[in-house]
Amino acid sequence: MRVNDLDPSAEKQAIRHFILSSVALAQLDDDADLFEAGIVNSLFAVQLLTFVEKTFAIEVGMDDLDIDNFKSVNATAAFVQRRVGRAAA
Amino acid sequence: MRLNDFQHARQEEFSAFARFEVAPFAADWDRDERIPDSVIEKLARSGYLGCVIPGEFGGPGWDLVTFGLLNEALGRFCPSLTDVLTVQTMVSAALLKWGSAEQKCTWLRPLAEGRITASFALTEPSAGSAIQSISANLASGSNGFVLNGTKKWISWAQFADVFLVFAKLGERSVACLVPRDSAGLSIEPIRNLMGFRAAGLAELHFENVGIPAANIVGKPGFAFSHVAQHGLHFARLSTACSALGLLRGCFEESASYAASRRIDGAAAGDLGMIRTLIARMGTDLSAAHALCHEACRSAEERLPQAIEAVLVAKYFASRAAVRAASDAVQIHGAAGCHGSAAVSRYYRDAKILEIIEGTTQVHEDILGRIFVDRAAACPRPTQPDADEHDRPTAGTRSASRLRDDRSLQPDGSAVSG
Repeated sequence: MRVNDLDPSAEKQAIRHFILSSVALAQLDDDADLFEAGIVNSLFAVQLLTFVEKTFAIEVGMDDLDIDNFKSVNATAAFVQRRVGRAAA
Repeated sequence: MRLNDFQHARQEEFSAFARFEVAPFAADWDRDERIPDSVIEKLARSGYLGCVIPGEFGGPGWDLVTFGLLNEALGRFCPSLTDVLTVQTMVSAALLKWGSAEQKCTWLRPLAEGRITASFALTEPSAGSAIQSISANLASGSNGFVLNGTKKWISWAQFADVFLVFAKLGERSVACLVPRDSAGLSIEPIRNLMGFRAAGLAELHFENVGIPAANIVGKPGFAFSHVAQHGLHFARLSTACSALGLLRGCFEESASYAASRRIDGAAAGDLGMIRTLIARMGTDLSAAHALCHEACRSAEERLPQAIEAVLVAKYFASRAAVRAASDAVQIHGAAGCHGSAAVSRYYRDAKILEIIEGTTQVHEDILGRIFVDRAAACPRPTQPDADEHDRPTAGTRSASRLRDDRSLQPDGSAVSG
């Protein structure tokens, strides 16, 4: 799926859907801290990163290694928007 | 499996290389516990040592299906040699993904051209798969950092020019590049291994080794969860395809022996019990081939499911190689128990494949959890207990996740390797 051209809520929805398809949760608060709440382990963290790179056609590098960039659905979506915006600028 | 023209041409090239440059000498390397420098130079000249490194850094930038074909071809005759490629690729891939611009410029071209070789220093005497237990320590020093600790069972460490070393910086994990000639680093070869005898394993001792800040790879706190994981992803792919090659070797040696060996005037292959063993081997070979190709393809396409596909391929292929090697010795009888028989070496090497880059049991733990969590995430509609309302929300962890709190940390221990 490529959602670069869609509105921000589509990015958020794609991220939320990816997480919910892999973890045993019926709902996911977009601000819930994925690490604090124990929703993801390190393996899934890498899968999420791979998903973000593939889906939004961005490259996550060393400078992006910050837990605040991926700690929640909202944080991840904001990171994607910043990166997509930077690429488009 | 459908290969494109490039992959098909490389497959033929790798097969010829393995047949002429590896097969006649693999038993000698095993006996001598060493791969000659001339062989490493041939790997370098052929572009094999840096095959996944892109052109901008001097490598050929081959796709991962081609990478898998190379590992399979070398693993067919000598998994020790594949292991050199494995660790070179682990370090190269980790640098490509998480290295700084300066680190990429400094290290990737020599790695790509095979002018230097690298080693991935993760495990310790008391820390194998449970990498959270690592005790190697990095502390701030006057000119950067100071590294102390011991690494053990490190492939190719006897000969590598640079090491990617994993340690702790306080409570945070950290990865750093350590050149071989660093003051305070001593290298102790590990001899008399059961298998992988030519893979140059060693123990590394770091005593107040100075590490410039420029040699830190990635950010502290992400070394286990991201830098090591990325390297291990490539290692598992390499090992899975190497196991596929060894499995093919067991199958070909066994089928050929069964066709030529006469027992009471009849071919051994006429015996039902021999045919049964070869049938199992051939079926495992087909299944491992399909799984490895799928793993390579999904890794090449960088699909999120690639991590799982690679785990499955490594788990299946390494176990199948152990079964096939055992049956290959059985089919050869007493002749298979002698050191001159290729299958006796395959038997010893196969067991190592089931231990490195995450043991079989670590893979079962990870894959079992993935499968159960997925079932909980997508319950079957016919199950009365699987109603959406019964599933927890973000604030209520599922039972399966409550079982292992340590694995939930960003820098967690759910890492195979």
